[in-house]
Amino acid sequence: MQWSSALGVLARLVVGGVWIVAGALKLPDPAGNVRAVRAYRLLPETVVPTVGHALPVLEILVGVCLVCGLLTRVAALVSAVLLVAFIVGIAAAWARGLQIECGCFGGGGGPSANATAAYPWDIARDVGLLALSGWLVWRPRTPVAADNVLLPA
Amino acid sequence: MSRKKSTATRREESRVAAERAAAIRAEQERRERRRRALVVGAVVIAVLVIVGVIATVVSSQKDTSGQSGAAPAGAVANGYAVPAGPATAKTTITVYEDFMCPFCGQFEAATRSTVQKGIADGSVQMQYHVLNFLDGSSTSEYSTRSANALAVVLDTSGPEVAKKFHDLLFENQPEEGSAGLSDGKLLDLAVQAGAPRAKVSQGISDRRFDQWVDNVTDRASKDGVTGTPTVLINGKKLESTSVADLAAQVDKAVATGG
Repeated sequence: MQWSSALGVLARLVVGGVWIVAGALKLPDPAGNVRAVRAYRLLPETVVPTVGHALPVLEILVGVCLVCGLLTRVAALVSAVLLVAFIVGIAAAWARGLQIECGCFGGGGGPSANATAAYPWDIARDVGLLALSGWLVWRPRTPVAADNVLLPA
Repeated sequence: MSRKKSTATRREESRVAAERAAAIRAEQERRERRRRALVVGAVVIAVLVIVGVIATVVSSQKDTSGQSGAAPAGAVANGYAVPAGPATAKTTITVYEDFMCPFCGQFEAATRSTVQKGIADGSVQMQYHVLNFLDGSSTSEYSTRSANALAVVLDTSGPEVAKKFHDLLFENQPEEGSAGLSDGKLLDLAVQAGAPRAKVSQGISDRRFDQWVDNVTDRASKDGVTGTPTVLINGKKLESTSVADLAAQVDKAVATGG
């Protein structure tokens, strides 16, 4: 296996795995997700509940697609767009001095005396995932992927 | 010579024709693959969108925030808060807290005597917004159960008993991540605070005010509360990074009537 193939598979599993975990941890608390989205004070109240309810579902779907290698390029693109949105959200919260938990893996709105200390790590993690997503947008063909069966080259 | 040349030309011509045919076939195959990819991709995306929309709708129906739920009798601040002390007090201290939140427990312990004194001399009214956002921090939705129990006690036994029960809940605060106090223990503490057992027992086990607790939490979120304890003095939010600092500001406000 070429190193680029290996990197592709690894990127799919890492990014997809993180999305699945993040989504699954949020899914049981829809009201909490809405509060976490609201805490960023970036979106108008009319769309906050819908975003809060849809986000974990979207995360799980993107994660499953990446892990299975299904529509890899589209899934990686959605993943990248979500990550850019999250990085902007966290950076905006940081810049405005909001002390909130990112809510990245559920929770959110919790006691957050050290929120500012967590922001750089949240952003660094998301940048890393964004880089892997970008690789998959560029090189979506990887071994052991549903795409290879569904859409043979 | 001319025959020979003509054969070569024919051979060349047929080779070119064969190549062109192969190119056309290849192009057709490429188009066919592309068409297939688009159709397959569109179908898969359509299925994913349908699954996503259904899952989102199902998930959103679990979120009952904002649905109508009766507030306990005696609640203040548009029915979202449990009062302690006279409405005429010149200092109103609003506290957003979760019975599972350890910092709230520390804040309560640090301000207990000041608050008690202020209530006793009529200069302070506390307004407690009891939230359930830490339900995930216990294995039994302790935040909701304890806040519901407080609402039941306020509803049936009035604010003085509710304040005593509120304080007892913090004095007996369970560890984060534990199962929390059982309904039986909640009932015992309510009785210890002065509530008649027969009047509060049903409401505590039926979770009579669960929807109210959801709504209090939702309202707090909409009002910009993102953590607990959040403390307001006469409507002004205290900025602070430590419990000790918060408590000091409360002491000062009560002392100066601010």
